[in-house]
Amino acid sequence: MSTHTWAEPYKIKMVELIKMTSREDRLQAIRTAGYNTFLLRSDEVYIDLLTDSGAGAMSDRQWAGIMMGDEAYAGSRNFYHLRDTVEEYYSYAYTVPCHQGRGAENILSRILISDGDYVPGNMYFTTTRLHQELAGATFVDVIIDEAHDAESRHPFKGNVDFAKLDALVDEVGADKIPYVCIATCVNMAGGQPISLENLKQLRVWCDKHDIMLVHDMTRVAENAHFIQCREDGYGDKSIRQIVYEICELTDAATMSSKKDAMVNIGGFLAMNDGKFYEQACGLVVVYEGLHTYGGMAGRDMEALAIGITESVQDDHIHARVGQVQYLGRRIRDAGIPIVNPIGGHAVFLNASKMLPHIEQDHFPAQALSAALYVESGVRSMERGIVSAGRDKITGENHKPNLELVRLTIPRRVYTQAHMDVTAAAVEEVMKRRDEIRGLRFTYEPEVLRFFQARFEQI
Amino acid sequence: MKTIIEPFRVKMVEPIKLTTREQREEMIQSARFNPFLLAAEDVIIDLLTDSGTSAMSSEAWAAMMRGDESYAGARSWFRFRDAVQGIFGFEQVIPTHQGRAAEHILFGVMVNPGSIVPNNTHFDTTRANIEFNGGEALDLPCIEAEDLDSDFPFKGNMDIAALEKVVAQHGPDNIPLIMVTVTNNSGGGQPVSMENIREISRVARSAGIPFYIDACRFAENAHFIKRREAGFENTATIDIAREVFSYADGCTMSAKKDAFANIGGFLCTNDAELALRERNILILTEGFPTYGGLAGRDLDAIAVGLCEILDEHYLDYRLLSTHYVVQHLLDAGIPVIAPAGGHAVYLDARRFLPHIDPLQYPGQALAVELYLEAGIRGVEIGSVMFGLDPHTGLETPARLELLRLAIPRRVYTQSHMDYVLEAIGLVWERRHDIRGMRIQKAPKFLRHFTAEFDWV
Repeated sequence: MSTHTWAEPYKIKMVELIKMTSREDRLQAIRTAGYNTFLLRSDEVYIDLLTDSGAGAMSDRQWAGIMMGDEAYAGSRNFYHLRDTVEEYYSYAYTVPCHQGRGAENILSRILISDGDYVPGNMYFTTTRLHQELAGATFVDVIIDEAHDAESRHPFKGNVDFAKLDALVDEVGADKIPYVCIATCVNMAGGQPISLENLKQLRVWCDKHDIMLVHDMTRVAENAHFIQCREDGYGDKSIRQIVYEICELTDAATMSSKKDAMVNIGGFLAMNDGKFYEQACGLVVVYEGLHTYGGMAGRDMEALAIGITESVQDDHIHARVGQVQYLGRRIRDAGIPIVNPIGGHAVFLNASKMLPHIEQDHFPAQALSAALYVESGVRSMERGIVSAGRDKITGENHKPNLELVRLTIPRRVYTQAHMDVTAAAVEEVMKRRDEIRGLRFTYEPEVLRFFQARFEQI
Repeated sequence: MKTIIEPFRVKMVEPIKLTTREQREEMIQSARFNPFLLAAEDVIIDLLTDSGTSAMSSEAWAAMMRGDESYAGARSWFRFRDAVQGIFGFEQVIPTHQGRAAEHILFGVMVNPGSIVPNNTHFDTTRANIEFNGGEALDLPCIEAEDLDSDFPFKGNMDIAALEKVVAQHGPDNIPLIMVTVTNNSGGGQPVSMENIREISRVARSAGIPFYIDACRFAENAHFIKRREAGFENTATIDIAREVFSYADGCTMSAKKDAFANIGGFLCTNDAELALRERNILILTEGFPTYGGLAGRDLDAIAVGLCEILDEHYLDYRLLSTHYVVQHLLDAGIPVIAPAGGHAVYLDARRFLPHIDPLQYPGQALAVELYLEAGIRGVEIGSVMFGLDPHTGLETPARLELLRLAIPRRVYTQSHMDYVLEAIGLVWERRHDIRGMRIQKAPKFLRHFTAEFDWV
């Protein structure tokens, strides 16, 4: 397999038409959307890099699985297929399907967390942290410092800093820590992987303190790719083997299968402990659906089971990450500041460096994302101060070091030409960056404000 | 012509696996005598629920292929929203992955510990969601509903005098909303009349209490109004449906029933401020407001299903084919709720098995027996589902002990129903040999889904 080209291991079987809009249309559209790309209509968008979540293209095999849906309310055969596939590929003995990842996070947090607990993790994720907080816990960031430095070329910026973990135990005691939450390919750090060596040490650390290890496995296959490329001793192992090894080191997992597993909807909570499983079955029926469908149609469980098998193919991941690297290098080579190393699912533009004239309180990344849309019709997402929200006690804005715009590449959807257009658009915005103005809120939701917030130009 | 024919023909089939009685004995034992725990492929005729089990049309499948899976602002969302607003008429539409999520969000915003929520009869997830938020789910069925043989045409009605009394006693401060479920599922799939809905609305509005409709089977209810209520003979069913919702302030909907969808639901309201708070919860537990935890294709399938469900030929066929089963049971002297409801046949297990004490779950015993006899799966609606108060831990007999045989939409044929009738007849013949059940293990909320049983 070549390491230079990244030709897709598939050809196109079905297409979806897109249309180009005029600059005037887009100016109008972004104003109507309150300068929030989440509030644009999809038919106002040319290339949609808002998220890789649920936006992937399924294979013909997955579509065939859609036709094989067993929509029985209880005991659908698709459930058993999914459960067996999760055990075979991800090692977990029990699977509780959920309509999507946040459904799994909700159930996990409600079962494991007690009021006043602390949950350490390798950087926060928006919905994950909020579920932890609503269940009464405080999130504690234990990722290595390099992760907060966009310039650092550390190969595993998703790693955990054990000094931070030890300090937390010293401060609050191990019995206040129900579990450590570890994400593979840390999204908010720029899609950065954790190494297997670090994870193995974490397993030992958790055993020593008798603390559970929970895996946010949304992008585990992409993480496995970086381990294969960068970590000693894994060059000859397959993605499938590495994924299994990662999962085996952890006790339970939440999965948004809308990412790695290339489905449009679905997720699950998985675990090895039978008692935990029973508790989860009791709760899933309240929030999601009976434990053999968890709010998923039978057909979507089938597509997911098939998607899991496709997601761990070496050729697939090679092309997937290859495309992201291609876009990242094109943008970087044009002298535009991005997060390095380039991650697995997205290219993150460093908005604070691109727009030094806009202070963080005026939301440079939000402004950049809006400007990129107006320039080209490319839809991206803010991942900076707006996403970080406010401190739950002081009410002050969290001020993340990383003020980023995420260009997220949906799996198997866009071509090299689409990437070229995107890179050219970013360059164009870079040239005109002095014209970009900061923003202020006209509407700020209480929780997860980035989704629905509205802004105006200062 | 008196013969009922389906206003459709079959375009795609799903094979059924046949089993022997010996195989079924083994399977029900390993499912701990709970049909919910059977593998679906071990069931011959699956009448567990009409929820999410219907057959979509070729149009709905075509719409699925047009699904726009964009995370935000997808075209599918706008088609879905327009379809919902075109029928239900509410200003705010909030998609959810299914009906219970809509309930969860609504009650999470409106119900507090000590709140009382009246309904004609709450269904299982509705009741659980209210109790989960510390509220009390109060059933106020009309008096006629007590008499299972009465041929009163609207046995789903709420008891208006009782509602007025509850409102006078507790007031709007303790009653965050009044609900009505159409059709009344726990009460035998019986319809609610337009007159009754107007009355509920009058009571609610004069007390300043929001009025919500649990709309799962709104089309069947509207068609019953057309066929049974004076003054609506010549009104289009869709207009009847629109009038029903015009009296309400919002609704919850499981699109897995009267929208033919395999997954999906929504919550509606006219209160923009309330909708803002609801969307904040939605984002946390369901998804962004333009998809709410549904794939784009499912939003599209619901939009098509909502149009198809109001086809009056379909609704005639639907109501008459349920009536067909009930009439045959009545003719054979088998105790069943009459008149026929829309979506299901309800065997009266208390009279079917009078020798079994309610707390030995005659409905559950009958469900097990029917599976053993013919591989038919139904669901108990009685003391297993409603007997346990999760707050006190006390168990009392439910008002009714029923075995519900829910009929998925457009899935089974008349010969399937004849097979079901024959099986019920055989169980009826040997009813005296049937034993009661006991619960061996069960969770606190919604125990019927996962409880484990054994023979007494």
